[in-house]
Amino acid sequence: MNTEELIDTLARDAGPVRPLPTPARRVLGWLFVALGFAAAMVWAIGPRPDLAERLTEARFLFEQGAALATAAAAAMAALALTLPDAARFWRWLPVIPGAAWLGTLGLGCLRDWAQMGPAGLRLTPDPECFAYIALIGSLPLLVLVLMLRRGAALRPSWTLALAALAAAAVGNFALRLFHTQDAALMVLVWQVGAVLLIAGVAALCGRSVLRWPGVPT
Amino acid sequence: MDSATEGAGSETTGKSRHAALDALMCAAQNGDRRAYQALLKEVAVRMRRLVSARAPWLGHADVEDIVQDVLLSLHTARATWDPQRPFMPWIAAIARNRLADHARRYARRQAFDQAANDLAEVFSSTPGQTHAERVVNLMSVRRAMNELTEGERRAFELVRLREMSLAEAADAGKTTVGAMKVAVHRATRKLKRAINRDGTEIE
Repeated sequence: MNTEELIDTLARDAGPVRPLPTPARRVLGWLFVALGFAAAMVWAIGPRPDLAERLTEARFLFEQGAALATAAAAAMAALALTLPDAARFWRWLPVIPGAAWLGTLGLGCLRDWAQMGPAGLRLTPDPECFAYIALIGSLPLLVLVLMLRRGAALRPSWTLALAALAAAAVGNFALRLFHTQDAALMVLVWQVGAVLLIAGVAALCGRSVLRWPGVPT
Repeated sequence: MDSATEGAGSETTGKSRHAALDALMCAAQNGDRRAYQALLKEVAVRMRRLVSARAPWLGHADVEDIVQDVLLSLHTARATWDPQRPFMPWIAAIARNRLADHARRYARRQAFDQAANDLAEVFSSTPGQTHAERVVNLMSVRRAMNELTEGERRAFELVRLREMSLAEAADAGKTTVGAMKVAVHRATRKLKRAINRDGTEIE
């Protein structure tokens, strides 16, 4: 097909399109779905018996708040990166809540060590963390990928990594509402580790999941 | 949208031309097929000129391939354009991205990066949103090219556009490697000053 024919075809097929809402508005929609699914999973698996008590602890609330803020910031960054004229700094948006999340867990490690000595920093295998985070993050990630595909695949690796970070952070947020594991080092290594691993794997898949249609990679 | 359609084709100043393209895209989003066709034609002309100038070794089919790729990308991404914002940085970002992908595919990254940088000349845009207001004037680039000495222009062409090594270029220009290096450096600095005051467009 020559270019003139292509232009005619595109122009003939082009109906009205509604400009995408702002990333902030789209993130609110995504959070609604993601947290709804997470709540349903927590309800299905059964919340931890000491949840009411945990919800009165500032440390627990802060860690959960930071995880949720990281999820929201990462989702917003991913959505913004699919807008061609968005500024490049968007990709760094999750850095501040992410640093707060890691920071509070790091401080938790120190506190556990101060309170319990070496026993507070014991690291035992906790593989189900990964499975739960992946399971609870799956639907939010799918929804977010569908939303991202309405945008332009300009930076696919970054975009998908941020999307996976957002979804996995929601998974981790939900996990802590039913999984009785509060040792900061365990959370840091197995749970945050799982979140980062999922984001890293997603970065490698970016180009095959998010692409310009009709264009070979 | 007839007035917008005519506006894009006429010889107008840079700013009103940009405004005309904004109007065309706005109309296209609202379903005006004629406006959309005029917009696609305008983008195709500019892209064809850019790619042919900066990658002269590409055949006609390859050039058209890239032009069509940009048009398809524009079509796919047209909902991501916010009518409150200018069209130029938006399409320039898409074009830059598609050129970069083609560069990877053709393993000719250097030359295509040059072409992507030269979007400033074709689209009069700036690389990022933070510079979006700093519109580059095509005339200033032309003036800067005229200001280069014959030696500088030749050196810039051999090394930057034809991707010769300094040694090859010195050989072709019958001069020394040192002189060639200085000439390329001077030419780049002059163009850099002309295209973008903070020097992000070239180099």
